[in-house]
Amino acid sequence: MQTEKEEPLFVEDTVYLSSKTTAEEVIKEISDKLLSEGLVKPAFYENVIGREKDYPTGIDLSVVDESLPNIAIPHTEGEFVNVRRVIPVHLEHPVTFKNMIDPSSSMEVKFLFMILNNDPEGQSNILAQIMNFCTTTSPNDLGTFFKSTDTSAIYKFLKRSFEEQNM
Amino acid sequence: MIKILAACGAGVNSSHQIKDALEREMGDRGYDVKCDAVMVKDITEDMISKYDIFTPIAKTDLGFTPSIPVIDAGPILYRIAAMAKPVYDKVEETIKKEGLK
Repeated sequence: MQTEKEEPLFVEDTVYLSSKTTAEEVIKEISDKLLSEGLVKPAFYENVIGREKDYPTGIDLSVVDESLPNIAIPHTEGEFVNVRRVIPVHLEHPVTFKNMIDPSSSMEVKFLFMILNNDPEGQSNILAQIMNFCTTTSPNDLGTFFKSTDTSAIYKFLKRSFEEQNM
Repeated sequence: MIKILAACGAGVNSSHQIKDALEREMGDRGYDVKCDAVMVKDITEDMISKYDIFTPIAKTDLGFTPSIPVIDAGPILYRIAAMAKPVYDKVEETIKKEGLK
């Protein structure tokens, strides 16, 4: 349950598009932007990448609907971030990530929800909200959303969808 | 009380979702369950020995063989009943088999 005190999960200025082709490149590009915005600490990138190698975050959405592209949710410990926010990143090219629930397998990912979470306790679970979004939004709408390269439209769709979840 | 240890890489997102889901579902099934969420790297043999069941996201190398039953709980993260049910069933089966209270 969201409370009025919670920061918004999405901010229009921190919705990104990336044309990078590897997980390391994408995460570096976005980490640098987040660092310059003061949203993460300097060690954020190294910790996200380190964690991704040992505990990957690719999520196979074909089990939700075969038409959907896969996503990944790169993140790290709260001590390396300054806010509680989700950073959506549309990937122009498929990027290979390993599967979170089966790290021995890889998948091509087309969208990232980078989770900045400095407060895992006592508030609505961010990952649960992302998964609710992916499993309850109609596959048609989701397909259109994942293809969009309009950061304003991506932001508005996410804001509306997550608000509806919490009503 | 049945004590479950959930774990993921960062200890902030996946493991907390597993914790919330297991406490809710096992509670609904009539079991008194308390679940803690931690980072995999913080788990020691001593720590794990204080729990009844270990529920990582995926197969996890702890550097030692856990002394308690291990159930991969990753499918719960999808929040799709059909994917989560086999995990919940396995937890319940383990509770019964081990006589946990």
